[in-house]
Amino acid sequence: MVIDYGMGNVASVQKALRFLNIDSVVSNDIMAIQNASSLILPGVGAFAQGMLNLRESGLIEVLHQEVMDYKKPFLGICLGMQLLATTGTEPHTCEGLGWIEGTVRKMEEPTLAIPHLGWNTVERTRESDIIQHDQVDCYFIHSYHFDVTDPKVVLATVDYGSTYVAAIEQDNIFAAQFHPEKSQDAGLAMLTQFFKKHA
Amino acid sequence: MLKVRIIPVLTFNGFGLVKTKQFQQPRMVGNPVQAARVYNSRGVDELLFLDIFASKQQRKLNMKIVSDVIRECFMPVGIGGGIDSIEDIQALLKIGADKVVIKTAALNDPDFVRKAADFFGAQCISVAVDAYLDDAGIYRVYTTEKGSLPVDEFIQSMAEKGAGELILTSVDRDGMMQGFDVDLVKLAEKNCQLPIVVSGGGGEPAHFTELFSQTNCGAVAAASIFHFTQFTPLDIKRELGAIGKPVRL
Repeated sequence: MVIDYGMGNVASVQKALRFLNIDSVVSNDIMAIQNASSLILPGVGAFAQGMLNLRESGLIEVLHQEVMDYKKPFLGICLGMQLLATTGTEPHTCEGLGWIEGTVRKMEEPTLAIPHLGWNTVERTRESDIIQHDQVDCYFIHSYHFDVTDPKVVLATVDYGSTYVAAIEQDNIFAAQFHPEKSQDAGLAMLTQFFKKHA
Repeated sequence: MLKVRIIPVLTFNGFGLVKTKQFQQPRMVGNPVQAARVYNSRGVDELLFLDIFASKQQRKLNMKIVSDVIRECFMPVGIGGGIDSIEDIQALLKIGADKVVIKTAALNDPDFVRKAADFFGAQCISVAVDAYLDDAGIYRVYTTEKGSLPVDEFIQSMAEKGAGELILTSVDRDGMMQGFDVDLVKLAEKNCQLPIVVSGGGGEPAHFTELFSQTNCGAVAAASIFHFTQFTPLDIKRELGAIGKPVRL
């Protein structure tokens, strides 16, 4: 199930799932979240707005319960990865979902263009079923990055002046800063692997 | 390492795809949905779809065709044409556009760019800058009205308003296939830190290697070379790879 909380690109995610023959619904219904076999949190936009929308839709508790307590498979994309953080700063400091310890901060690269936009090499930092190659090109578009406290949860990094977190995997949670649904074969392969792993 | 991007552009007239020369003489070049399908199967880095007459003809985008184009694409897609409200942008993002390209509305009301960037995030707001060299040797923004802004001023103001990317087109070079306007690109680079997509003039791979070796350019948009020659985006990327530019093959 793709969670619709008014923060962008659910259409692209659903299109990718359809292409992979994976049944999905787009919804913000609490019962639907409880009944879903897995949850996808997409998202484009500002952190504070994303949290506000989740809170106003009354989804924070049920998401916490399903993902953290019942360990339901969870896929976060872009803002949907960043919202897992303890704290966000876009545009002001605010609380995140707090499932993965760390802070989402503005990227500071004085000599490089911000946003970090385009195809960049995702470098795997450990073995994983979901990302099957050591290096793979994926599509990024973001100005903020997730500064993760515990390096053990980091699955892949990306180099853009500094090294940034590109993907996280912890138990039932997989989350990517890049857009698998926009990364053609490389991204579609990861989505396939995510659903295979959690079938 | 961040790869350079080669972006095919689909310029649309409300009915079919057209290609102009110096923004004049639109020539029919085919069907947008078919073109999008071909580019997707070729694994291009990104796609731009622009209805180049929407603002002039005071039309809105044909959302049916736009959504059919987007449906073909498993890569990022930018959509432009007559976008001048938050609702326009919302409707496009909802059907799966990744970026919107704003031009006329950015000239008429620069604060619209700020409003849009605050609402949706800068990353999905691209501003199109169409530039020409005037008789006095100053690059100016192309509009149908007289006394248009110098390009450097406009770019600074767009960066300050929070645009996420510029799509910089040389009107003089559009459709001419004689090479890019390198001086224009350098001027733009001096005036902002935004990603810039350069467009107008690419006719053969050598034009691309010239542009990339003389500027810090990270992306090029092109149409004529793909419509009228045998070269594909992959051919261009191979050439750029050969001069040491990071490309995605």
